[in-house]
Amino acid sequence: MPGASTVFSMYTTQIAGGRNRPEPAAGRCLCGILPPYILDRLAEADDPRVREAAQRTLEIDTEFRENRLAVPSLAAPAPAVDFILKRTVYDAHHGLALPGDVVRNEGADPVTDGTANRAYDSLGLTFAFYKEAYNRHSIDDANLPLDASVHYRRSFNNAFWDGERMVFGDGDGLVFNDFTISHDIVGHELTHGVTQYTVGLVYEGQSGALNESISDVFGSLVKQYARRQTAEEADWLIGAGIFTPAVHGQALRSMKAPGTAFNDPRLGGKDPQPDNMGGYVDDPLDHGGVHTNSGIPNHAFYLVASAIGGFAWERAGQIWYDTITSGGLSPNADFKDFARATVVAAQSRYGKGPEHEAVLKAWSQVGVNGNG
Amino acid sequence: MRIRVIRSGGLLGMPRRAEVDTSGLPDSAELERLALEVVTETPSGAAPGVPDGYQYIVTVDDRRSVQFADPGLSDAQRELVERVLGEGA
Repeated sequence: MPGASTVFSMYTTQIAGGRNRPEPAAGRCLCGILPPYILDRLAEADDPRVREAAQRTLEIDTEFRENRLAVPSLAAPAPAVDFILKRTVYDAHHGLALPGDVVRNEGADPVTDGTANRAYDSLGLTFAFYKEAYNRHSIDDANLPLDASVHYRRSFNNAFWDGERMVFGDGDGLVFNDFTISHDIVGHELTHGVTQYTVGLVYEGQSGALNESISDVFGSLVKQYARRQTAEEADWLIGAGIFTPAVHGQALRSMKAPGTAFNDPRLGGKDPQPDNMGGYVDDPLDHGGVHTNSGIPNHAFYLVASAIGGFAWERAGQIWYDTITSGGLSPNADFKDFARATVVAAQSRYGKGPEHEAVLKAWSQVGVNGNG
Repeated sequence: MRIRVIRSGGLLGMPRRAEVDTSGLPDSAELERLALEVVTETPSGAAPGVPDGYQYIVTVDDRRSVQFADPGLSDAQRELVERVLGEGA
């Protein structure tokens, strides 16, 4: 059925005020943040559950002035919300113009172009991951259609999120393979969309490195989810398989061992990622080294997931997901702000148990104070 | 004419630098025409870019420098950076 949408029917809950949210302005996202005046009004509501939740939130608001986190109990019973997956894959025909021509719509049979089919399948996998793991309705939590353009430019060694869609290069075949080859790359790019629609972390300096890290975390979790791997079984690599066999390197990044993913002059040298604050770089390029310094929060997540054990998308991933969707984190958050927000999120959801302890310990190990 | 290209960002995040001196090159006229077109047509100031997109800095004779970013490159910008970096063929 070309053009039809795939509809998953499911009952779910939603954060109050979370739907019918305004479109985010360019570079900034307004969604998910409940202004104090709304909380004040809710605190006087007739419904005792709403009143109590709002009052509790206002107390927490006061307690964490700079790093507010709405407690999960703010979630109110909501009507059934369908999950609607609507993918469109375009072919840019090696040109600069985006999106290009439609090659595969939602529900259509596979086409002869394997790249288009891989993009289509990875978009579906990422959608299923966010649905099953976090009850999220596409990247904006409002069933945003998922678009991807393949064959962008000629021998183009990159993939990116342009604010509306994923764009894939074919790779040059000498250093890079086709960028649709790895599920975690698709998960990484679509998670830039999730970040854009939630915390809206500014893509510069520490908030930019956090933006990158969140894409690596959930990109890796998409792959782990697809493979049903535990934290112990996972490779914790980002973009494994993206390099041709001629390259000395196993992936773009390693969350388990930042700085060890590659070492090859064709890539410009050795993987520069640090695994703790001692190696933080002030880079004038790459928006302040966002792809380098992301190694620090990446490794913190790996340490949390390994300490908790089991499937990393369940508890460790949930803590990170709560952190970015709670509305309590500033778009300019630095590592310390983010660390503290994950500690609060862990405690809000799981109490002061092993999860909370794992989060505190992980940030301490990477040299970030999450307990200030 | 000396044309320097620095490409940074991208999913990998490793910068790439390349410089060509057009004197004596068989395609010097074409490269110089492209470089002049790019430094003339590109607005001054930083290019905002997108997550994982490449950013480019093109400098001609150490004097004129412009910045631009994926996506939305002009044909001249794309051709110049691909030729100087030796990519896109």
